[in-house]
Formats: sequence, structure tokens, C-alpha cells
Amino acid sequence: MSEAASDPTEVELRFALVRRRYGDRLTPEQLDEVRRAVGAIVEMVTALRTVRLTNADEPGQRFVPFRAAE
Amino acid sequence: MTPVFRSIRELAEAVRTRQVSPVELAEVFLERLERLGPRYNAVVAVTRQRALAEARRAEAEIAAGGWRGPLHGIPYGVKDLLATGGGIPTTWGAAPLRAQTFDADATVVRRLERAGAVLVAKLAMVELAGGMGYRQPNASFTGPGISPWGRDAWSGGSSSGSGSAVAAGLVPFAIGSETWGSILSPAANCGVCGLRPTYGRVSRHGAMALGWTLDKLGPLGLTADDCGLVLDAIAGSDPHDPTAVERPFRYDPGDGGRRFRFGVIRGVAESAEEAVQEAFSRSLELLGRIGSVEEITLADLPYEAITRTILLAEAASAFEDMIESGAIAGLTAPEDRFTAYARDAILAKDYIRALRLRAFVGREADRVLSGFDALVAPGRPAVASPLDREFRSAARGNVPDVMGAIGNAAGLPAIAVPNGTTAGGLPTSLQFMGRAWAENTILAAAGAWQRVTDYHLHHPPEVSYSA
Repeated sequence: MSEAASDPTEVELRFALVRRRYGDRLTPEQLDEVRRAVGAIVEMVTALRTVRLTNADEPGQRFVPFRAAE
Repeated sequence: MTPVFRSIRELAEAVRTRQVSPVELAEVFLERLERLGPRYNAVVAVTRQRALAEARRAEAEIAAGGWRGPLHGIPYGVKDLLATGGGIPTTWGAAPLRAQTFDADATVVRRLERAGAVLVAKLAMVELAGGMGYRQPNASFTGPGISPWGRDAWSGGSSSGSGSAVAAGLVPFAIGSETWGSILSPAANCGVCGLRPTYGRVSRHGAMALGWTLDKLGPLGLTADDCGLVLDAIAGSDPHDPTAVERPFRYDPGDGGRRFRFGVIRGVAESAEEAVQEAFSRSLELLGRIGSVEEITLADLPYEAITRTILLAEAASAFEDMIESGAIAGLTAPEDRFTAYARDAILAKDYIRALRLRAFVGREADRVLSGFDALVAPGRPAVASPLDREFRSAARGNVPDVMGAIGNAAGLPAIAVPNGTTAGGLPTSLQFMGRAWAENTILAAAGAWQRVTDYHLHHPPEVSYSA
């Protein structure tokens, strides 16, 4: 798979959300590790964006309406 | 007969013909679990009382001519993410949940009980099945899982105890679970067989959820045949699990005389450790004795990223309460206490994109597999790592595992079988991955492999059975 470069700004924006929610529980060292984990996530989802999807490409699992057994 | 390190068929014949009684069998394995289990951090709880009650019932039924089949009276253990009633705790390997109990047995446990099998132990596992991002083996309140092949070797995860208990002869077979790698990895590290069934083949009712669209339950045993016999007992639809499909399964490995067509993804072993590559190269030559081997290429897709996105997002949701409440701070592995916070950075759009790409993966895998009986690859890219070191993990993204990514995203069955031992005495593994619902085909291939090799007949020297 061709490599796709992740955007450092996107990493910081996503990390800001995590820090806002959980920063008060974390040490500076843990925050650094979480930042690296967010970087890995952005790299991961950037790889997903390298594939072009069309409107017809549905998720690989179906919704099934519920009806109780009678 | 000495019952340890015997196949299920051998034990079943001895039980059926009353050469050995289910109670005697249970006593042998209960004693080994109690004596040797702690050596490998393999056991959460020995279910002695329940085991003896089930064994006595089996003994009475068999004496009355009511032999139920090959699992009747055979002891087994389950990964401690399967619910058991009767006050037996189900801990999910997590210190904060050490006292957790459920009112009823998981469907798999009920089905094994119906087949007459005897539950002797709840087996150790990586906390929350590894879903919080552990990076090293010490990630369970029962301690790091240890492979019987080396005192300093990790048993693999997350079905750690299921692998080591089978390898050490503490149980004839065990049940594990796989979301990505958690059956194949301990099978490889412990030198036993591990079968990951097709997604939906086995009910997950009563099992801890890690990734709803990825979780599978399956057996670990000494032989491929053992795994087939167990799958036969646990497969099938379940009104309590809508993903368990109406597609009857009867284990039928065939007559053993056929030749197979195997595919190998180009470069699939390139990133594996040298010893694993060597064992795999030897295996490719040996596979020529039971079939043909052809190299193939796959469409260019971000396979690992797709599966990892689904896994990380679903695990974050499955454990949302523990993460948001901060209860993960009570977990054993330091990294499990905070790493999952990062997953709030996965957007809904990312997850849905991964699900849309998953459809591509399923189609591509089926296209390739339609020309073969199975794809073959190393069962795991590395041998068991030392207990005090970080391991490389495809689920964390620092080692490629295209077979695992495809197999788990597409829900395909695979079986890992031993294929060698390193100079240091650690086992290596070979996997056969098949089309959806083709468990009989990969079991037949793995069975044929085990008829032309004897790796599965080797056991860790320090636990060889003595009466």
C-alpha cells in the first residue's frame, strides 16, 4: 500500500480533544504517550483515505430491522 | 493408559470402552492444573467441585450405555471471558473485575456441557483481551502468561492460559477467543493448534465483547482433529446471538487422500523473524507432499489500517464505561491505564470508512481464495518474546500482519499448527486460512500436514507426563 503522510495539524487538533477530556488524569509522560497514540491513529485513518469510495460503497455489514418472535 | 498429551479421539475411545473413567480423567487434570498451572500463570480458577460433579454424571451416563460422543467425559478449560454460573467468577483478566460473576453459563459452555465435556478450569488471559493497548506480557492480574517451552517466554495473548494449559498437558483442549490474533498467537507461542472459526460460526453469547464485528470463539488443542471435534460441538446458531448464523456445521475432514491447492501471498513472511522465515521456507517444501503451492498478489488496500480502525473504535466503545470513569487505572499493565484515551480521536467517519473498506477486503479475499483451498503463512511473525520485553503487535501497528488483518476483517477461518522449533527451543507455527465457512477444508489441510509431520507430537520437556 502506498504511504500516505499524516497532517501534524490534524494530530494536534485531535489530541486537543483527548487532552481536554482526560488531561487532568494524566501525567506529562502519559500525555506524551497519548499524543503519540493519537499520531498513530491519524496515520491509520490517513491510510484509509487513500482508497477512493463511491456513493454505492456500503459498509461491509448490514442493518437488520428487529421484530420480536411471535 | 497415561491420559496426558493424548488426542481427544484417544481419550474418547478410552472413556467409551471404560478403560478410564471421566472421574479419573478429571482428577488427573485437576491435579496438574493445581500443581503446574501457577508455574505458567495459566489459571484463574480451578473448577474442582463443578468438574467432579460433571465427571460423575458422565461416568454414570456412560456406564448406563449413554455415551454422548467424543467429548463425553473429556476435561477442558475456557478463557476467563466466558461466563460461568454457579458463583464461579469471570474476571476478563482484569483486576477491577476479579469478583465479577454471572448468573448463567455462556452458550459455548452450555454446548460443551451438552456434549458431556467436563469444565475443569477458567484460564488466564490478557486483561480485557488486550483491548486497552498492552505492549508487554505483564498485562493480567494473574501475571504474565508463560509458555511451557521456556521459563522466560511469553505464552502469547490474549488467550494466554488456553495456549499454555494445552501445551503443558493441563487440559486436553481449551476455548479461546480472537479479535485479531488472540487464538493464533498463543497457539504459535505454545506450540499447539488453534482454530479461529468463521465469524458467526460460534455464538458469542456470554462472552466478553471486545469488538462486536470481530470477536470469534474457537478451540485450542493438540491436533487439528481435536479442534474439529470441539468446533463440531460448539458451532451453530443461537437465539441469544443474532450474529451466530443458521449454517449447520458437521466436522468432516474427508478421507485424507486428497491433494490441496495452497496460495502464498508474495512477501508474506518478509518481516518475520529469521527463525520464523526459516521454518516457513521448510514448510513450503513439505507442503509439496500434500498439495501444490502458488504465489499470489493481493489488491493494494490498507488492510491493517482497516482492521485496526474497526478494532480500536469498537473496543473503545465496548469499554466506554471503564475508560470514561477512569476504572482502567486499576489495570495491571501501566500502558493499559491510559492509552485507550487516545481513541476518542477516532471519528465516526473514520470508523464508517473502515467498515466500507471492509467490504472490499471481503471481496478481495474471497476472489483470491476461490482458486485455493487455503492461503498459508507463518502463524505468527515472531517466536515467543521474553517476558520483560515489549513485543511487536499488528494490532498496535508496529509489525505487518496482512493475513491477520484480512482474516479478521473478513471473518475468515484459520488454523495455526506447529511447524518447527528454533535453536533456542521455542515453537514456530504455520497457518492455513480458508474461505468463509470452509473450516472443514482448512481442518483437512492441517490434518494432512500433521500426518506428514510430527511437530505436534513434541511436548515441552519439563512437563512431560509422569504418572
